[in-house]
Amino acid sequence: MRRLRGRTFIIGAVATLALAACGSSDTGSSASGGGLEKTTISVGVLAIADVAGLYIANQKGYFKEEGLTVKPEVLQSTQFAIPKLLSGGLDLALGNYFSIISATEKTNDKFRFVSDTFQAKNDVFDIVVPKDSPIQSVKDLKGKKISIASLNSIGELAVGSTLRVAGLDPKADVTYMPMAFPQAPAALKAGQIDAAWLTEPFLTGVQKDMGARKIADTMTGAMADFPIAGWTATEDWTKKYPKTMAAFQRAILKGQQDASADRKAVEQALPNYSPIKPEVASVINLGAYPTSLSATRIQRVADLMFEYGYLSKKMDVTPLLVPLPQ
Amino acid sequence: MIDRRVVRGAAGAAVLLIAAELAGRSGLIDPVLLPPVSTVLAAAGGLVADTEFWTDLWGTVTVWAIGLLIAIVIAVPLGVLLGTLPRAELAARPIVEFLRPIPSVALLPLVTLLIADGHSVKITVIVFAASWPVLINTMYGLRDVDPVAKETLRSFGFGRLAVLGRVSVPSAAPFVLTGVRLAAAVGLVVAISAELVAGGTDGIGAFMIRAGSGLRTDLILAATLWAGILGLAANALLVRVQRRAFRWHSARAGGGT
Repeated sequence: MRRLRGRTFIIGAVATLALAACGSSDTGSSASGGGLEKTTISVGVLAIADVAGLYIANQKGYFKEEGLTVKPEVLQSTQFAIPKLLSGGLDLALGNYFSIISATEKTNDKFRFVSDTFQAKNDVFDIVVPKDSPIQSVKDLKGKKISIASLNSIGELAVGSTLRVAGLDPKADVTYMPMAFPQAPAALKAGQIDAAWLTEPFLTGVQKDMGARKIADTMTGAMADFPIAGWTATEDWTKKYPKTMAAFQRAILKGQQDASADRKAVEQALPNYSPIKPEVASVINLGAYPTSLSATRIQRVADLMFEYGYLSKKMDVTPLLVPLPQ
Repeated sequence: MIDRRVVRGAAGAAVLLIAAELAGRSGLIDPVLLPPVSTVLAAAGGLVADTEFWTDLWGTVTVWAIGLLIAIVIAVPLGVLLGTLPRAELAARPIVEFLRPIPSVALLPLVTLLIADGHSVKITVIVFAASWPVLINTMYGLRDVDPVAKETLRSFGFGRLAVLGRVSVPSAAPFVLTGVRLAAAVGLVVAISAELVAGGTDGIGAFMIRAGSGLRTDLILAATLWAGILGLAANALLVRVQRRAFRWHSARAGGGT
């Protein structure tokens, strides 16, 4: 009898957990916290330097000051952020400008950028080849395989732009191999790819660990200081939770300011969300952390996408931006 | 008897580990790309003290256990139904055969659109994957029931439900539990795959994503090792349950499982 009761208890406990898990989707809509429509928000992030501003804001209590609890949810790629934003599983997510602008044209989904978060700088996105590779310059990439994080993305735009400058045709002269950044170093070593388009910390990793050679910085010329990603929500969300959005914007701005003012702040934030070794964090190249959401800057992404055929017609990005109300 | 089996199993594991370590040390496998076994084991040991990893491990165990439980609750009654009603089984067979081979991880984008809560998304795909082994084993278990036993009861005037409850279900139960064991393994695979693909607030897969982004292959492999240990532990637990509950069955079948 005792055994039976134990079993019943376990079944009951697990069933309760199951119900709790099913019902936990609308937590945090309580009214406390300075009139915010929602005090707890889930934010989709990648465990990379782009989101340092968010973690700094969390660490320093900038969100708390606004009465906001931010729950970061780690994603493998920003690709999964889109269905999660649409289903309401995420309130906000790190959205790379290319993908979101592309999705805006292709589908009827209406996304809004509420804050800029990351911008390219020198040697944050490079093309590298193995130490003993015969490839010496971008021209030598003709007929070769280059890994990029995913097809139809900022990677294609950046590598394509670099190839065009060298007189190559990105569509005909090279083969793009979609491959997640963490997998690329091994593929490069094994010869599955001839060159890899990488960002930090993988870029520093392959150069240090296997002597990989940089042949081009892809964020130069037309791509110099290129906007990479911003905090993204659906239009519905921004309309439904305007106060929550403004609170998030104010807090993230402070985090961005800290990140852009002091590289040490980023180095200290990184180990909080990625098990990166401190000695690696201290040497990687970091991009810029913009402190304003500028239509002029983001427009560059849409214009270049149109120029290279990733958009079928010109797009004005102004309606996509929701700058912090002054 | 069991002691010898444990010793042999441990010896097998040790030989494999030493071989892998030698491959790393001798340069056969590049230690930069694939850290040597000793490094991975040290990292796996270090994770014991890492509270964040425990959160992730617990996250995986929770969705896994809930998913498995829901799968059992759905698949066992359905299996009993289809196993006892041949016509219903015939009608359902095309649907089952169509749905069964669909890789549940491929359903992730769809499920993510439909369900907001990240954990429920994972539980859903686990339930989808884990239901099939339970369902199929239950169906076959019921089909394999000794017809003489059923006929005997029937000739004593017992009704269909009584025969089902007194003979069919008990004698199919060991098969059901075998199905549950298979489902447990499948469920863990799907849980971690789903976390790897879709990410999340916690989970071994989410831990691996973070480790990958932080250039820490040693931690990815250490987490993999823990995932393997989880699977082993679950299987050992279920084998024990099977031995305890169905001693009569293993005695009849001649030996343990």
